[in-house]
Amino acid sequence: MSIQENMQGALQGALKSVDRPVVIAFGFIVVMLLAGSLYSSSFLSANYLLQQLQVAAFLGIIASGVMLVILLGHIDLSIPWLVTVGGMMSTAAAGWWGPEYAIPFGLFCGLVFGLINGLGVAILRVPSMIFTLGINAVAQGVMVLHTGGFAPQDHASETMRWLAVERSFLNIPNAVFIWAVIGIAVVILLKRTPLGRYIYAIGNQEGATFLSGVNTKAVLIACFAISGMCSAMAGVLLAGYSNKGYQAMGDPYLLPAIAAVVLGGTHILGGRGTYLGTVAGVILISLLQSILSVMQMPEAGRQIIYGCVIIGMLLVYGRGQRVQG
Amino acid sequence: MNAPAEEPVSRPPDPAAFWQMRGISKRYGGVVALDGVDFACHPGAIHAILGENGAGKSTLIKIAAGVVQPSAGTLLLDGEAVTFAGPQDANAKGIVCIFQELSLMPDLSVADNISMADPPLRWGLIDHRAQRRRAEELLSKVGCDDVNPLELVKNLPLSRRQMVEIAKALGRNPRMLILDEATSALTAADVEKVYAILGELRAQGLAILYISHRMHEIEELADTCSVFRNGRHIETFAKGTRSDSEIVQLMIGREYTQVYPPKPQHETPPEPELEITGLTWGNRLADISLSVGKGEIVGLGGLDGQGQRELLLALFGVLRGVTGEVKVAGRRLRLTSPQFAKSSAVGIALIPEDRKSEGLLLPMSVRDNISMASISHFTRGLFIDRERQNAEIDEMVRRLSIKAGDVDDPVATLSGGNQQKVVIAKWLMTNARIVLLNDPTRGIDVGTKQEIYQLLRDLAAAGTAILFYTTDYDELIGCCDRVSIMYDGRIVRELEGEAINEENIVASALNLMLDDRSEVSSQAEEPA
Repeated sequence: MSIQENMQGALQGALKSVDRPVVIAFGFIVVMLLAGSLYSSSFLSANYLLQQLQVAAFLGIIASGVMLVILLGHIDLSIPWLVTVGGMMSTAAAGWWGPEYAIPFGLFCGLVFGLINGLGVAILRVPSMIFTLGINAVAQGVMVLHTGGFAPQDHASETMRWLAVERSFLNIPNAVFIWAVIGIAVVILLKRTPLGRYIYAIGNQEGATFLSGVNTKAVLIACFAISGMCSAMAGVLLAGYSNKGYQAMGDPYLLPAIAAVVLGGTHILGGRGTYLGTVAGVILISLLQSILSVMQMPEAGRQIIYGCVIIGMLLVYGRGQRVQG
Repeated sequence: MNAPAEEPVSRPPDPAAFWQMRGISKRYGGVVALDGVDFACHPGAIHAILGENGAGKSTLIKIAAGVVQPSAGTLLLDGEAVTFAGPQDANAKGIVCIFQELSLMPDLSVADNISMADPPLRWGLIDHRAQRRRAEELLSKVGCDDVNPLELVKNLPLSRRQMVEIAKALGRNPRMLILDEATSALTAADVEKVYAILGELRAQGLAILYISHRMHEIEELADTCSVFRNGRHIETFAKGTRSDSEIVQLMIGREYTQVYPPKPQHETPPEPELEITGLTWGNRLADISLSVGKGEIVGLGGLDGQGQRELLLALFGVLRGVTGEVKVAGRRLRLTSPQFAKSSAVGIALIPEDRKSEGLLLPMSVRDNISMASISHFTRGLFIDRERQNAEIDEMVRRLSIKAGDVDDPVATLSGGNQQKVVIAKWLMTNARIVLLNDPTRGIDVGTKQEIYQLLRDLAAAGTAILFYTTDYDELIGCCDRVSIMYDGRIVRELEGEAINEENIVASALNLMLDDRSEVSSQAEEPA
């Protein structure tokens, strides 16, 4: 009896702490803004904050996809070059067939690479850490071939520029609306559809989910495909933002995307996490990067602080999780 | 509690016994695994331990080997009380155990494995030459001179690995060697070899504690036998003083605490819902034929690990490479995945063995768990129709009287019995016409057990075909219309009506036919 009571007590504690990382992340965002405002009052201006959201939107779109993969208990390390694929293939398609093909073709290429990731992990049973890393290298090679053989157009289409740079409504960047649409889609997916239920289930216990008669392979493939498309979408917008697609444009996004998801409270081993947390993580990471650069911290110091903050926050979460276990 | 009647007459206090356990008890939570056991071991003798599933054999050897600590009682070594901090401590004091699962590292060499715990060192580094010499020595002791000490363990056949395991144990200079089902994976020829080695070790003065379910093995090997039942030491006797049927009698004879719902009388044999013919899977399932009728509860019995689990998994489409024929409602099917098995075209449900890792998603809510197998019934377009889903879940929670504070709480907050009900509820939601159960009452309280028995009977009355594997033969007697007993991947006996009784079940589980022994022993000698 008493063992059961102990267990119940421990579990109630665990329940309360489910949202703790989200609270911590949002708290940290507020602290950073206040600290920044001491340094310069422009940190609290609407213009600065909207600019931050603009930058965060790219990261947020990537994190939306990779969050699904992390919820499964897997990882997607092909982000950098799938972003690049999205950017370069959309600009190339605009040059080959016309600007209206740019975005669909960019997304299609991301989908194809995502599907390959999914097939490798679900059917061939290669650990996702290795397989997606391999696909990242393959995507890099394909892009080098693509630019090496012939010179494709690398200019973004008008639509891409409009989506990435313009502020058509209430001075809010259009990219933020795209992030919002993708975010709402992910929330609905996770909360309202069988696929979402299965994602959490697989992250908790793949064997038990399989024995419930769930097609676990299809779920894995779907999530990697979505992640591939999200990375490619971010690439499309990045290309629009800087007006061209170029090699290695996705390289700075791997660690921030995974860190944003995990700082937002999604368990790195899967099964637990909310999209609200991912939003908090994305904003936190973007803000941290921005503040460090505004403070004119030298690059080396910036990297050190950035890494320490991520590890430090994970330690705080990790302690909570160990108590639960 | 040591009732005087339980005191075995044939076990006089013996000063020669170098290893004694006095009044040993072990509790796991509320479960008593061992209850006041007295036990002694002599050098130069092979001592066999017999008992049904859950009799306390494994707990006994785990205590002796220092893996678990007794809740009460004392261990005496050479007349002095000892406690073991862990297996290493027990090893150091001369008690070495070879567990059922082989503990060798497949990717290391034989010599590395033999010296795993205490490799010979030279200037702080492993001395490979000395290690190899030592391996050669020990291997020749167990008659395996042909094994190259530098060979990787994974390249050796199973029987050789078992020998290496024994050599490794001998390397620790044991005074007492414990073997838990050491021959269950071996072929007849290899078993002979193990016998020869054990005989030699006995001659060298080792005490050997031997656990086996093969009756003829025990007759051949043991000098002394001890029978355990329900965590108690029932009797110890010298070899040859008891007949097989007397031994079976000692192993059974448990008090009945369960009440079972009455079994209905079928006027005509029910129409078969599940028919299996010649089902075979690797060397784990051999030529299994079985049928379960509409509204029938068929029990699957036998000792642990005789292929019952594999049979249920094969029927649920989990295993690859199963041959043979399976018919559901007269239609021949190839069961390729759980997804297909649960589909309305087939309608099979499996309540798996381990509810914590196979049946439930512990951190997820009771609701999510109950609907996990049947979400596709509640979708409208792409989305889950939560109102309809919740209505059905609430109905199921009421029907099984699942006691949960809130159906949105994680299922881990429920008691074991209620967790098991959640697993059953999950599968009732799929409207399965065939329900396979893998030991569903293990580790749950008596009250919930009885609710589950009643539920199974109600399901059967509504026309569901039920195949029910249980390690508790009491349940086979009380719950099942027919019983099939498995041994070594085969169904060795089918029991019906009055023939479903303790003697028959226990004897068949040991692959003994008490009325016709000669036939069985010849069967048992057949290489698998």
